[in-house]
Amino acid sequence: MKNKNSQGAQESPSRCPDNSAFKQQKLPAWKPKLTAPTVLSSFFTIGVFCLLVGICLILYARSVKEIQINYSDICLNCSKLRENSSNWDKECNCSVYFTLQENMLGDVFMYYRLQNFYQNHRRYVLSRSDAQLLGQDVNIQNSNCAPFTIYPNGTPMAPCGAIANSMFNDSIQLFYYLNSSTAIKVPLLKSGNSWWSDKNVKFRNPTSYNLSSAFAGTTRPPYWQKPAYLLDEEDERNNGYINDDFIIWMRVSAFPTFRNLYRHLRHTNQFADGLPAGNYTFHITYNFPVTKFKGEKQVVLSTSTWSGGSNLFLGIAYTVSGAVIVLAGFIITAIHLKLRKKKTYFQR
Amino acid sequence: MSGATSSADQAEAAARTIYLNQPQQSKFRDNRVSTAKYSVVTFLPRFLYEQIRKAANAFFLFIALLQQIPDVSPTGRYTTLVPLLFILTVAGIKEIIEDYVSIIYLIWETVGDIVKVTNGQHLPADMIIVSSSEPQAMCYIETSNLDGETNLKIRQGLTQTASLQSREDVMKVSGKIECEGPNRHLYDFIGNLRLDGQSPVPIGPDQILLRGAQLRNTQWVLGIVVYTGHDTKLMQNSTKAPLKRSNVEKVTNMQILVLFCILLVMALVSSVGALLWNRTHGEVIWYLEELYVNFGYNLLTFIILYNNLIPISLLVTLEVVKFTQALFINWDIDMYYQETDTPAMARTSNLNEELGQVKYLFSDKTGTLTCNIMNFKKCSIAGVTYGQLPPSTSESCEFDDPRLLQNIESDHPTAAHIQEFLTLLAVCHTVVPERDENTIIYQASSPDEGALVKGAKKLGYIFTGRTPHSVIIDAVSRACVVYSSFQGYVHGIHPLCMGPRATRATLTHHCTNLGDSLGKENDIALIIDGQTLKYALSFEVRQCFLDLALSCKAVICCRVSPLQKSEIVDMVKKHVNAITLAIGDGANDVGMIQTAHVGVGISGNEGMQATNSSDYSIAQFSYLEKLLLVHGAWSYNRVTKCILYCFYKNVVLYIIELWFAFVNGFSGQILFERWCIGLYNVIFTALPPFTLGIFERSCTQDSMLRFPQLYKITQNADGFNTRVFWGHCINALIHSIILFWFPLKVLEHDAVFTNGQGPDYLFVGNIVYTYVVVTVCLKAGLETTAWTKFSHLAVWGSMLLWLVFFGVYSAIWPTIPIAPDMLGQVSFHAWIWERLVSVLSDCSPLAKHTYHKTLLEQVQELETKSKELGKAMLRDSNGKSLNERDHLLKRLGRKTPPSLFRAHSVQQGVPHGYAFSQEEHGVVSQSQVVRSYDTTKQRAGVE
Repeated sequence: MKNKNSQGAQESPSRCPDNSAFKQQKLPAWKPKLTAPTVLSSFFTIGVFCLLVGICLILYARSVKEIQINYSDICLNCSKLRENSSNWDKECNCSVYFTLQENMLGDVFMYYRLQNFYQNHRRYVLSRSDAQLLGQDVNIQNSNCAPFTIYPNGTPMAPCGAIANSMFNDSIQLFYYLNSSTAIKVPLLKSGNSWWSDKNVKFRNPTSYNLSSAFAGTTRPPYWQKPAYLLDEEDERNNGYINDDFIIWMRVSAFPTFRNLYRHLRHTNQFADGLPAGNYTFHITYNFPVTKFKGEKQVVLSTSTWSGGSNLFLGIAYTVSGAVIVLAGFIITAIHLKLRKKKTYFQR
Repeated sequence: MSGATSSADQAEAAARTIYLNQPQQSKFRDNRVSTAKYSVVTFLPRFLYEQIRKAANAFFLFIALLQQIPDVSPTGRYTTLVPLLFILTVAGIKEIIEDYVSIIYLIWETVGDIVKVTNGQHLPADMIIVSSSEPQAMCYIETSNLDGETNLKIRQGLTQTASLQSREDVMKVSGKIECEGPNRHLYDFIGNLRLDGQSPVPIGPDQILLRGAQLRNTQWVLGIVVYTGHDTKLMQNSTKAPLKRSNVEKVTNMQILVLFCILLVMALVSSVGALLWNRTHGEVIWYLEELYVNFGYNLLTFIILYNNLIPISLLVTLEVVKFTQALFINWDIDMYYQETDTPAMARTSNLNEELGQVKYLFSDKTGTLTCNIMNFKKCSIAGVTYGQLPPSTSESCEFDDPRLLQNIESDHPTAAHIQEFLTLLAVCHTVVPERDENTIIYQASSPDEGALVKGAKKLGYIFTGRTPHSVIIDAVSRACVVYSSFQGYVHGIHPLCMGPRATRATLTHHCTNLGDSLGKENDIALIIDGQTLKYALSFEVRQCFLDLALSCKAVICCRVSPLQKSEIVDMVKKHVNAITLAIGDGANDVGMIQTAHVGVGISGNEGMQATNSSDYSIAQFSYLEKLLLVHGAWSYNRVTKCILYCFYKNVVLYIIELWFAFVNGFSGQILFERWCIGLYNVIFTALPPFTLGIFERSCTQDSMLRFPQLYKITQNADGFNTRVFWGHCINALIHSIILFWFPLKVLEHDAVFTNGQGPDYLFVGNIVYTYVVVTVCLKAGLETTAWTKFSHLAVWGSMLLWLVFFGVYSAIWPTIPIAPDMLGQVSFHAWIWERLVSVLSDCSPLAKHTYHKTLLEQVQELETKSKELGKAMLRDSNGKSLNERDHLLKRLGRKTPPSLFRAHSVQQGVPHGYAFSQEEHGVVSQSQVVRSYDTTKQRAGVE
């Protein structure tokens, strides 16, 4: 029996584990040493870097020219009128005068800005049909559009959903006073303001021989004044679902205060370099009610830099944290120098 | 094994009748035994049941079900179900791998067969002895597999069948056996043998050979199979060891519960917020019609929204991590014992981290510390001491003192005493000699007896034979002498008394040193014996005894029963809030091994019982050092880092949803795309916890062994306790504040692009999400002290994975109809790498490291200057050199006896003896057995 055992042991492979680096947990490893010089130098490097970036950002952001006018306050009459929804068919126009002290050179953008408008509310965000916006013939009753899906008589809404229904529908025009009496219309572009992927992939008109027939059998959403195929009658490429104003509205904002790109300046004639300083007026057709929910509307003119708009926060944040890190670096250096001679666990 | 269950067993199992040499009339279970947990059919239901029983999994299943309610879930219907299924799949694969290792026996015996088993074989099934090669159908079995006792036991067949020696005889027999049904009582058996034409004969436990026992010193035995497969007493007794849960696991479960409560509170607060918001806004928001304000639905929505505060992947991550850690223990070549080809084995993987926290160590004394290898080294005869204890460094320790023989030859005054001493050594024992041509092999029931007989042999008193009434000694000076009836004469001076007293002194020495390294107040050791312990453990003085014992560096309890052993462990476990470890090698240690937090079995010598009930088995006591100091401490570090990190990363991401709720009117809107959230735990941040849990090494193995003080860090749970846990959570909270409010302020009412376009909600979400992934991965990098290639892969790979996913995911609509909102997101992202956020979050820990240097960090530092390591004297606060401890542990490490001695020890050191069992009520008494032997005669050979 003993013999048999020993033979068996020879035949069966030894249970000795492999002596590999992985199995013996001796894989080569980089052990970052957190010594005073490395940590301190990284502190100073990071700190100085942040400071530089921050200062750059502040300088660039300050170079942005921006003018922002709250017209829901100025056009108080219109605001009041719109509070009552029964007046929806009464037109209300409003003019806002302002003076540009300096030239606004380069690209000039016009935004509308809404305050206290909760585009990020869950029910609101959900309420759309992306398939419908792709131009597909879908039964929107299966979508999340409710309650803006179909009318009691069974006609579906196009486009459906709360987002589309509440589309911003003021129209704003900008006039430049060449002199005290003659004002010319500033040329502003309606298209080219939306994301490329939205315009070309995500939004498609239903196909038919013309746009109005494509929307046949559907009706505009209840709060719209005109159907989707009349959003821009002048430009076939900017009409229906692929209207830039519509596309931009459909991208919901993350915060209850936001601004959406509305127009941008076309560089011609007097405006080849941007907006010259002088007197201007906004001609606003006031349709969009905001005072009801204690909101406000602004119109914004702004230039831009590589870092975007005029928001100083990023620059300030970088500068402050850069300063804090450098300061911390100095403090740690001081502590380190003080404690260096103190006894450690090790004694040579 | 309560009375209730055993009686239930009895009731279930019907008595059986077995026909001899005839086909059976009833069907019995086949002799197939599988220790595997699952079969192909039962896998799915059983596995699912096991998983869903875990509270966390049940919780996520509940969430997945909640998501099916239309209009409640903010994250769609399948965003919890899919990760959950993924996680269950991983857990399932792990279970299958684990189960695949389980052994399946297939032996083809059926009930009623007559089986012949030869010497050394293991019995294949429970059977009744018919006859054997030995006189009166006696046979010897070793039952260490059953009860851990290595002494041979005697079983004796019925006299009615003892004469059935040949095949022909057996074939002729006809009749039947009636016996009770299968049960788990090892020492009970009731049955009747009804041979045709004879009156029935009762069969008792003495006629039974149990499966798993080994036939010893018996050429062959014939038996009738009565129980097979799972009906055998061995299998009926194989109960699962009590489920032990580690301390870390308990703390973690507690924190999960608290987090769950926090989740509920958050959901409640958000729901109330929604209520208030709707009250102020609901009337006037013309763009949102039918804002229904059902508080209950809102609550469910928010529970779903925040559900991942409890990390869904934690359980499966931990399971895989611990499984791998257990594999590392199995793979450790330093814990592989070549002599017996035994690697260390982690029999459970859920106590790995407990090994790093052991405060009290309970060790079995004799077998475990001495490995059951004993040598005759020293003796004192009539006041003269012979032999020297060799210095501990010397490896040779055979008795080597020429004075003893000289004294006999030169007629020293004590010569007669010496001769008598040697005669007694050679005579008073229960060893049976076996002649193998010219050499004599001693079969001793205990190693000390064997050592003494061999010592006598070396001095010329050679024990050569045994007959029923005498023993035969070959003495050098005389011819063959036959001593008879010595029993009464030598009763009083059993020479064994010197043996244990030696071992105990050395042990005291060892244990005092051991106590040193655990650092207690009193520099004394307490020795208490079983008799005294009985009173010490009585209720009134128990606390006093405990206080006394705890103040000592070491406590030695001798001559204690298995029950007392586990009682002591239990007492310490209950009254002292510390982790206990019990180590032992015999069946008598099973109790304490199962009672202690961690049980370690020495595999090899005294049978498999201790190993089978242990959580970890090692081949040598000395391997305990590496198991605790390296594997234990590492596992603790890794598991805790992994847990803390899992909580951290979930809190960071999901608290952001709470911040977002403040700006979206508590509507339950999510900031991120739903699948980005769903895959966060299973893809984008899945790898770092694994590398932390598997490859993290705070110090190298050498340093861990060299500076045992490092063990204190894990022992005191410095790395994981409520404070540390909530520290991490607060850290995560701060990070989430930075990660949400900074981008919010940056992106709020501003154009972010050169072309004047502004951000939408997912743009914000994706920026924040990207920062979260980057920050969380870098955080893992900061936690990592040893960057293996896997760590690099996990940290940088995860970030890359997210970016690649992001790129692909932003382009699939409408080709694949998911994530319309994501379309085109990535193209606008390239420039906006505001590292600021991550930099800010990760700077603070760096600062801490600079001036807050712990012992651990100093060792780490030293490691890099390995040359100086040798010279370095690590001092603790008492100014005591740690190197001293180092020596001790080195010495312990050297305890492996040299192979030189093993060759001499009885039967290759396996302490199997001849029959002299201490079985109290055996069928044949010990003296009877010894008498029944006549080694001068030839035994009946194998047919």
